[in-house]
Amino acid sequence: MLWYEVKKVFSKTSNKAGLVILAVMLAVVSYFAVIQVGYVDEDGNTKTGIKAARTLRDVKNQWAGYITEEVLVEVLEQNAAINASDEYQSKDVTENNKAYAKKQGLSDIRDMINRAFCGFREYDYYRADSVTTEEVKEFYNRRTLNLKEWLNSEEAKDQYTDLEKQFLVERYEELETPLYYEYADGWSALLEYGPSISMLLVLVTGFFVSGIFSNEFQLKADSIFFSAKYGRDKAVAAKVGAGYFIITFLYWTVMLLYSAIVIGILGTDGAECAIQAGFGGWKSFYHITYFENYLLMMFGGYIGSLFILTCSMLVSAKTHSTVLSVAIPFILLFLPSFLSGFSVLSDILGILPDQLLQMNMVVKYFNLYQIGKSVVGAVPVVMVLYFVLSVAAVPVLYGIYKK
Amino acid sequence: MELKLTDLTKKFGDFTAVDHMNLTMTEGVYGLLGVNGAGKTTLMRMLCTLLLPTSGSITCDGKDIFKMDGEYRNLLGYLPQDFGFYPEFTVSDYLLYIAAIKGMRPAAARKRVRELLPKVGLDKAANKKMKKLSGGMKRRAGIAQAMLNDPKILILDEPTAGLDPNERIRFRNLISELSEERLVLLSTHIVSDIEYIANEIWLMKDGKLVQNGTVDEIINSMPESVWICTVEKKMADDMMKKHKISNLKSDAKGAELRIISAKKPLPNAQRVPASLEDVFLYYFGGKADEENVVV
Ligand SMILES: Nc1ncnc2c1ncn2[C@@H]1O[C@H](COP(=O)(O)OP(=O)(O)OP(=O)(O)O)[C@@H](O)[C@H]1O
Ligand SMILES: [Mg+2]
Repeated sequence: MLWYEVKKVFSKTSNKAGLVILAVMLAVVSYFAVIQVGYVDEDGNTKTGIKAARTLRDVKNQWAGYITEEVLVEVLEQNAAINASDEYQSKDVTENNKAYAKKQGLSDIRDMINRAFCGFREYDYYRADSVTTEEVKEFYNRRTLNLKEWLNSEEAKDQYTDLEKQFLVERYEELETPLYYEYADGWSALLEYGPSISMLLVLVTGFFVSGIFSNEFQLKADSIFFSAKYGRDKAVAAKVGAGYFIITFLYWTVMLLYSAIVIGILGTDGAECAIQAGFGGWKSFYHITYFENYLLMMFGGYIGSLFILTCSMLVSAKTHSTVLSVAIPFILLFLPSFLSGFSVLSDILGILPDQLLQMNMVVKYFNLYQIGKSVVGAVPVVMVLYFVLSVAAVPVLYGIYKK
Repeated sequence: MELKLTDLTKKFGDFTAVDHMNLTMTEGVYGLLGVNGAGKTTLMRMLCTLLLPTSGSITCDGKDIFKMDGEYRNLLGYLPQDFGFYPEFTVSDYLLYIAAIKGMRPAAARKRVRELLPKVGLDKAANKKMKKLSGGMKRRAGIAQAMLNDPKILILDEPTAGLDPNERIRFRNLISELSEERLVLLSTHIVSDIEYIANEIWLMKDGKLVQNGTVDEIINSMPESVWICTVEKKMADDMMKKHKISNLKSDAKGAELRIISAKKPLPNAQRVPASLEDVFLYYFGGKADEENVVV
């Protein structure tokens, strides 16, 4: 029965086209993720692809290891030496690129120094150039200091309760230092483009599952369906099952293919590095590794897809309208970004289901929720909330369609 | 097995589509005759548990069919009047799918589909997509679908609509063949569809049963007689206004009229035995389909 329901979905011409779109999408997004990682060669030309990624990895991994005071001092010294070179001083862009080529290996650590020595909400690419080898000893302390300074600023003062402020500071202080550093550009590219593919995936899957319930009515096949022996129990369950099978199968196939392509080309290195040991994750209060962040993205995305598409199927079963049902994922994914202008809504926006499809961003946001006396970040809230809601919706979906 | 309708009523708002029907059915073919809007489909949809009655009950061997749930639907085969398919499915996929939701095991289903396809004349179309079938072929697939689970209760809502005359005859034979050991209820506006195969005929009008019985009983129930007479063509119009005319044949000499009337309408009129069509016309008046009146 389930097999026929799945077959019904994929026999539709429009849905066959949907599969082609998915394949194209997978290729395009993977391509963009891969070319995200570029290596600048000695002549100052940027190269992308497997070979470039491998070279960049080798160059960066010369700095692999714990970022201790000695390492930081060495980075500053090498940085200063390159800054003093003719290439760096030249007015010619190509010459500057050649200088940059030499900085590539230390660029990530240099960027962390920029972050540590700028204000919490500022970023100055040249800040590292003026940090002294004495100052740099404060590297890890600066991270917490910046946070505290910002929490007392006009901007943030009223944004968080004392309990929340305390939670953030405690979290920051819990970070295990020194951080371990390694080339992790593969994982960051993978994480960066993850939301693009999972969102597109949800939209396309929406077209697949939206008809499962409503098509019976549009095709006037409902009378025969409901008057059959299993028409009000097992056959309905088969439809529900087919919906979740399609969502699950497509999600994991596409996402795992995407991961395999990107990581296959850019390399698995850095999986065990903390996300703080890199440009983007420095400020995050979630102390996780790149691989853990990847797992969050995969499972968060799956829960998000389940929830959003369950809503879509509920509408399909209730209203018998495929169009309305297809519109649901669009609304759930795009409405929040229209509303993001209203700061009063930011607490709610932080836990809308679209957040699950951008876990790489959510770990960097400072959305906090107070449950009783304890404070939690948005990540556990959305994961638990939407998992529970999705599971609870299954019997509802079954019950609605049965009628 | 016995299906019993007790005071069965269905209202849509203020409108009563089925009005206090009381009937009992056992094995055999029941022909449900009625004009458009008589309430045939509404009645059948209730019998298929697709509509809940406003009041009254339907029982199967004493048990409420709505409470029997799957157990009742397991006995049921239904061909709706207006129905659709999954356009991208082939005929055999479609039938196998319906067999699955009827709870048949795949092996049994495949065997049954192989048996049924030639019976409904679709053996050559087994691998055709449903969207490529003609209207009549679709209806035949519909009949096959209803027969899949070898139903004890077979409900066919205008099964012959859209079939060509050959098909209609084949279908009639198929039904009498299938009717053994089961209850078949079939609705139609075409008298000849059921005249020879129905064990009992129900005449339905405005949601009520106006007559029921065997063909002979129904014919005998008509208090008026049927007359044949030939008149001049110009008189025919006049006669049609005065009497119920069940047939008119005209040629160069004049018009031969078949008149339903209590009294002899004209001196030269000859009394003839009434047919079911005459009865249909008598009960349903001028409202009967063109097709039935002037065949
Ligand atoms: N869902 C509904 N809502 C309101 N009125 C309805 C509904 N279904 C049927 N009716 C009305 O009930 C009456 C009986 O309809 P039904 O379809 O049962 O007639 P029928 O005998 O099958 O006619 P036909 O020969 O044209 O198929 C009609 O007047 C119809 O307009
Ligand atoms: Mg009808």
